[in-house]
Amino acid sequence: MTLSVKILQAGATKPANNPYTICIMANPCLETPLQSGSFSRDPILASQGQFNALAAYVIDSLLGKLPGQKEVAFAVPATQFRIVSIFDDSLASGDATCLVGEDSSSNIVVPRQIKFGPLLAKYSIPGVTSLKADVAFAVTGSITHQRCSAWFTADDDFGPGVQFTLDGAVLSHRYKNLHPGTVALHVSAVSLVALHEFGHAASSWTNGSVVDLYVDNNPGLNNKQGRPIPAAFGVMDSVPYPSDPARDGLGYPAGWTSYHAQLNNPAFPAVMDNFWQASTQPEDCEHDRITRQFLLDRIGAIMARP
Amino acid sequence: MEPIKPEKKAEILRNRPNATPEDIHEYEQLLAQRFTVNPFIQRSPEESAAQQKREARLRELHAKLFE
Repeated sequence: MTLSVKILQAGATKPANNPYTICIMANPCLETPLQSGSFSRDPILASQGQFNALAAYVIDSLLGKLPGQKEVAFAVPATQFRIVSIFDDSLASGDATCLVGEDSSSNIVVPRQIKFGPLLAKYSIPGVTSLKADVAFAVTGSITHQRCSAWFTADDDFGPGVQFTLDGAVLSHRYKNLHPGTVALHVSAVSLVALHEFGHAASSWTNGSVVDLYVDNNPGLNNKQGRPIPAAFGVMDSVPYPSDPARDGLGYPAGWTSYHAQLNNPAFPAVMDNFWQASTQPEDCEHDRITRQFLLDRIGAIMARP
Repeated sequence: MEPIKPEKKAEILRNRPNATPEDIHEYEQLLAQRFTVNPFIQRSPEESAAQQKREARLRELHAKLFE
């Protein structure tokens, strides 16, 4: 039996001991298929070394340290994140310990979002009796399903936060969540996969959702609909953000009505787009301008919570 | 949701003569939309019906593209 709770990075020292916290846990068991109520031990529990390597990869991607990685916007704030890994092969398989399900209509591993908080709360580190994450990764070794996915954070919308405006609407970067942003990350994940999924998970169901850009008609903070494409994508906190008229690096297919925000590097697709289609290597991709600023603002607000 | 690699799309089209790029895009679009449906708010009957229809279409496309 192995129980390993490691502080991979201590994070900011704060009076309330509540730095932005990322938990990376070896998924104890799989639900196959999702919503079936059928549970089995996750193969990752036989591969602690692979789990440790993947946790290191997640940290590298957040710190902008992947070989050739150009998206380094989170490199400075990420040094202040508390990052904890959990490997526990002593748990019985069942509903309460299952963080990942295998989708029956694809090869996607899907995080079981509401199960993360209660399970993480059973673990402690010095000074914290009950772990609580802002974003949590469950690492799986599923044999049949390798494609990763994420759910946005379920904010505590009755709690405090930092107000901001998005296209005239007043929203809030909430300090606390009811359920953390969650990622099901396959042990084979490489390149920008972890950073892409973190982009989803660090955003919010109710206060700005960062969505996939590689499909049409998928509205979110970073994806709008309309033709002709307007020059202005949107306004966040009184700052105008232009549109990307050409989906630089890829091009909008004929018939699409989606359009995106201006890129930071127009030579390559956005991180939330199909980064595998970069003309050189995926690590050349960066976030578009509104996505990057939104994530920095949101993470910064949570980091500064009292 | 992790995007599909271009070579994977090409492999699907090569192995499935009946499959089209439009099928793959519709499949991807429906999968991506699934991840934008907030499970923490109650669905109207119309939304629930649309969700069921989407899942049924996903199963059809999965069978066409992968089975």
